[in-house]
Order: sequence, then structure tokens, then C-alpha cells
Amino acid sequence: MKESMNKSSFGRVLSIRGMAQVFTVTIGLIILCIVFGIMNPAFFSARNVANLLRQIAPILLIGIGQSYVLITGNIDLSIGSVVGMSTMISATMMTKGTNPWLAVFFTIFTCLLVGLSNGLLVSFAKLPPFIATLGTMTIARGIAQIANNNYNTDSIGEAAQGFRNFFYYGKTLGFYNTIWIAIVLWVIFNFILTRTRSGRHIYAIGSNVEAARLSGVSIVSTTTKAYLVSSFVSSIVGLVTTATSGMGTMDAGNGYELYAVAASVIGGVSTLGGQGLLFGTVIGASIWGVLQNGLQFAGAPVAIRNIVIGVIVVVSVLLDVIVRSGKASKLRLSSHRQVNTVTVGE
Amino acid sequence: MKKSVVVLLVLVLATALFAQGAKEAAGMKIYLITMDQMDQHWVNVDKGAQKAVSELGGITYKWLAPDVKDDAKQIECINNAVAGGANAILLAANGPNAVTAALKEAQEAGVTIVYVDSAANFPAVQTLATDNTAAGATAGKELLNALKGSGVNAGTIGIISVNSATASTVAREAGFRKAFEGTGFTLLETQYCDGDAARSKDMSANFITQGVVGLFGANEGSTVGVGNAIAEAGRAVIGVGFDKSDMILSLIKSGHLLATMAQNPDVMGYEGIKSAYKALKGEKVSPDYYDTGVSVLTKADL
Repeated sequence: MKESMNKSSFGRVLSIRGMAQVFTVTIGLIILCIVFGIMNPAFFSARNVANLLRQIAPILLIGIGQSYVLITGNIDLSIGSVVGMSTMISATMMTKGTNPWLAVFFTIFTCLLVGLSNGLLVSFAKLPPFIATLGTMTIARGIAQIANNNYNTDSIGEAAQGFRNFFYYGKTLGFYNTIWIAIVLWVIFNFILTRTRSGRHIYAIGSNVEAARLSGVSIVSTTTKAYLVSSFVSSIVGLVTTATSGMGTMDAGNGYELYAVAASVIGGVSTLGGQGLLFGTVIGASIWGVLQNGLQFAGAPVAIRNIVIGVIVVVSVLLDVIVRSGKASKLRLSSHRQVNTVTVGE
Repeated sequence: MKKSVVVLLVLVLATALFAQGAKEAAGMKIYLITMDQMDQHWVNVDKGAQKAVSELGGITYKWLAPDVKDDAKQIECINNAVAGGANAILLAANGPNAVTAALKEAQEAGVTIVYVDSAANFPAVQTLATDNTAAGATAGKELLNALKGSGVNAGTIGIISVNSATASTVAREAGFRKAFEGTGFTLLETQYCDGDAARSKDMSANFITQGVVGLFGANEGSTVGVGNAIAEAGRAVIGVGFDKSDMILSLIKSGHLLATMAQNPDVMGYEGIKSAYKALKGEKVSPDYYDTGVSVLTKADL
């Protein structure tokens, strides 16, 4: 272990599990940007870059949440519904005259309850994560609908202008606040994942749940923590959505859980657990956002965009599989295990 | 086993008694069946229908709707209405073909059928609906006139819609495009945002960066997105949209949207009941297709 710590070469960085794919997709992202930039000079205009970064921010946020859950070897299908729930609860409260900041805290709190349920259902009650979060997905969407009696809300009004600026329209140091929110949360959650015991436990149970259990990792609390992160970032995206629209729509966030999976796996997070870096999620979310934005500029029909994104998801995972099987044939399986234990025991 | 048979028998008896009771109470019984209960749109159809019912008198009226849009559930509603002794059904059909078998049974039971909002492929007394193509064209003309009025005779225009499978918004888009045929304006590829106001705003902002002179939103969420993007950009982009909601009206009031096309669901309900009433009395109902039209709402109307 010490030996590898002292190696400060490029090879050392690449040897971090998942880093190779981060490099591959980063190169892909750069190529995409260049192509779109050549096709349309307005792509690199200050205005579009600012907008583009702000469009990436929500995808990055839910991507962080889904990455956490995927690394534990689970999945969170409730993300989109929690976004909708967060939007509808916050907007309904504001239209009824609640102080926006009070509404924000209450909204985050209720959304965290969904994460808590997810975590306990999966780890304590041992439901398959796909089923458990499918259930909470439906429930959360129902709550979104019932929040304002089955109607989209009215305008959240002038009183909430401060709230709208904080989450979406305002700028700090030249960048939109939404971008700052995403950066700050990314730094915090990346720190937790890579530098703390909880983070190492998250990787550990994703790699080998039995081994983790035997070495004293609490499966229930670790899994629940990951789901709480997921619900937290989803509730923030819901608040951003309310701020963007100035109202609450019951359909908000529809399908976001899968965008989050896409952002994660494009960035090299393994759906099998135990592997992934939040650096990758940044690149995955950026590729998603750049494609949405760039293909719109290029005048491509939405159908084409969907096909392109689908192909990229499949190819990026396929690349990873090929790279790994290539490695496996060269190295013995034990070396893989070794890297793993290093991450856990650090 | 025996117990369950007894329970079943009691249930059947109770249902039969209920049905009997319902039949006796009926003078003229009209049911409204919509796609779901979620939309303000249906509430307004119901309001219009209730108004006609209270004006005409002697009608027992009831609104049935599934909790979510679902073909099987709508068929159940139709069957329930027939079993409940309906003389006429005002139906907003989920799709053109899914409910036709149920409607055939209803007709065989002597039920008069009137379509409100959307028709199925089955003959009925009358269809009362928004002609979405015409309404889209109206929106297009509003935008065209406003652009010309501000001295803009060429440029690109962006469209935000729901998806490519919703018949009403697809028709609106087609009508809108038609209004610009033979003008100096280019209509860009439509962006679909599932009616999500936040995504619609992002796509609208991209359009504005691309330098569009006008934007069109094909439903409520799309229109809110268009309005918010124009409000933020602060550029001379003109936006028109569809549907009437508090947020859309406030965007019109603040001058960020020029106009919205408001459907008249209350007219559908009101005139629908009247047509059903006429048909039940044996009078002739015409026309076959009643365009309930759209009202163009601008700042001046608020």
C-alpha cells in the first residue's frame, strides 16, 4: 500500500478504480464541445456557456445522489418523484404564504423521509432496491399530486423573488447560483465519499457486502446514508425547479432518476456497486448537458438526440466492460481484490 | 367456502338493489366521463355541464373519472355509467380506439353518446372540442402580427411542446407552423420537454441564445418555460402560448408573454349537456362537430 501511495505518476492516478473511464469520457466530452463549437460559434458564447453550466447543474446534483446509491450496489428510482414532490410541496407552501425559507427547510425534511424509507426498506427489510424504490417513487409522485389537491400550483409570487434568485436566477462572482450550489455540494459529497470512514464503507458494501459486514461495517446505516444523500440532492433539484418555473408542476422531475443513472454510468460508476468516482459523474452530467444543448443548436430532432444519448450510455459501459475484461486477462483476479482492500482499509 | 358464497350472494343482491333504486330515481340521467380528475380543464367541463343542468332542470347529473388517465379505467367508468342507468354519456375519450367496444355496448343499452374535448372512432350525436389545428394557427397569427407590428419581418422561431405522441399538442404545432408558411420566418426543430416547466425554460433559453425572434409554447408547462426564459433574457423576443393558469397570466401581465390561447372547456360541458338533452328529447342535433374555439388572452384582457 505504501509503495503505491509514493507513486505520484500518471499511472498511479490511472490505477484508481474507475479513473481510466473518467479519462476516456473526458476526452469524449472535449471532442463533443469542439465539434459543437465548430458547428455553431454561438456554442462558446459567454451567454451559452453560462446557460449550459446551469443546465448541467441539476443533472450533476441528482447524478451525485444516484452515484452514491449505485456505489453501494443499489439503485434509487425515486429520484424523479422526489424532485416532483419537492417542487410541489415548496411551491404549494409558498403560494399559501409560508415564508420561502421555512418552506425550503420543511421540503428538504420531508424529502429526507423518503430517503430514510428507501434506506431502511432496502437494508433493514431487505427488499430488492428496484422494488423498494419503485414503491417510494410511486408514493412520492402521489404526494406531489396531492400536495396541491391534484393541481399545478399558482405563481409563487413576488414574495418568493429572493428564493428564486438564490436557487436559479441570481449570480455570484459571475456564475449563476445554481452552478455554485452544485459545486459546493459536489465538494462536500466528494469529500465524504473519498476522505471519510462513511465513504469507505459505501465502497466496501458495494464491493462485497458480506466481507464488509464481517469487518464490522453497518449495512443498514451505510445504505441509509447513501439513500439520504440521494433524496437530499433530489430535494435541492426540486427547489431549483420551483425557482426556475415560479410555480409547481406535478410532472416535474419525470424520468430524472434515469438521467441520473446515465450521468453516473457514462462517468464510469458501476451499476454493480463498489466502483465509481464523483469526478466521473461531473463528466457524465456534462456530456448529457452538452448533448442536449449542442444538438438543439444543431437543429437535430429530439428523436435523434435520444438515440445519440442512448448509444453513448451503452458504448461507455461497453468500453468499461471491454477494458476490464482485457485487464482481467492480463492480471490475476487477486490484484483487483488488492486494490479493493486498499480502498476499504485505508 | 360456504361463507364466501353467502357473502358473494349478499353483494350481488345489494348491487342489484342499488341499481334498481337508481333506475327508479331517474328522470333523465346524464353522466360526464373525463380522462382523469387531475386537470383544471376537466373541472371546468364539469362546471359548464352543471350550469346547463341547473338551467334545463329535470336532469340527474354525475361526473365520473378515473384517478389517472388509463384506458381500462375509463372503460370501467363507461360500464358503471351504463349499469347506473345513464340515458346519455358525455365522454372525453382517452384515445380513438380503446373504448369503442364499451361504447358499442352502451349504445346497445340505449345510451346516447356525446363527445366532449376528444372523440373516439364510434358514431355519436355530436363532438364538442377545440379544433387544435385552428387554435394553433390562431396562436401563429397572433405572433406573426405582433412581430410585423414591431417591424420584424424575418428570423427564426422556436417551438416548445410536450412530446410527439400527444394528438392535441401535435395538432397545435401543425397549425402554428402553417400560419408561418410563405413568410420570411424559419421555424426551428421543435423541442419536446414533457410539459416540464423547468426543462422548457432551459430549452427556451437555448433558443434565445440562438437568436430566435419568437417562441411558442404548446401547453401550460411549455408556455411557463417560454415566459420565464423571455423574462430572464430581457430581449425583444415575443412569446405566445397555450392554456390559462395563474403563472401564465402573471407572465402576460408583466409583459413577458404576448398572449395565451385559452380553451373553453366550460362551453364543452355546457353545450354538451344541451345537445344530449335535445337528442334525448328526439330533436335533431347539429352540427356534428362543434368547435368550441379558443379565446386569445392578452394584457388588455387582464
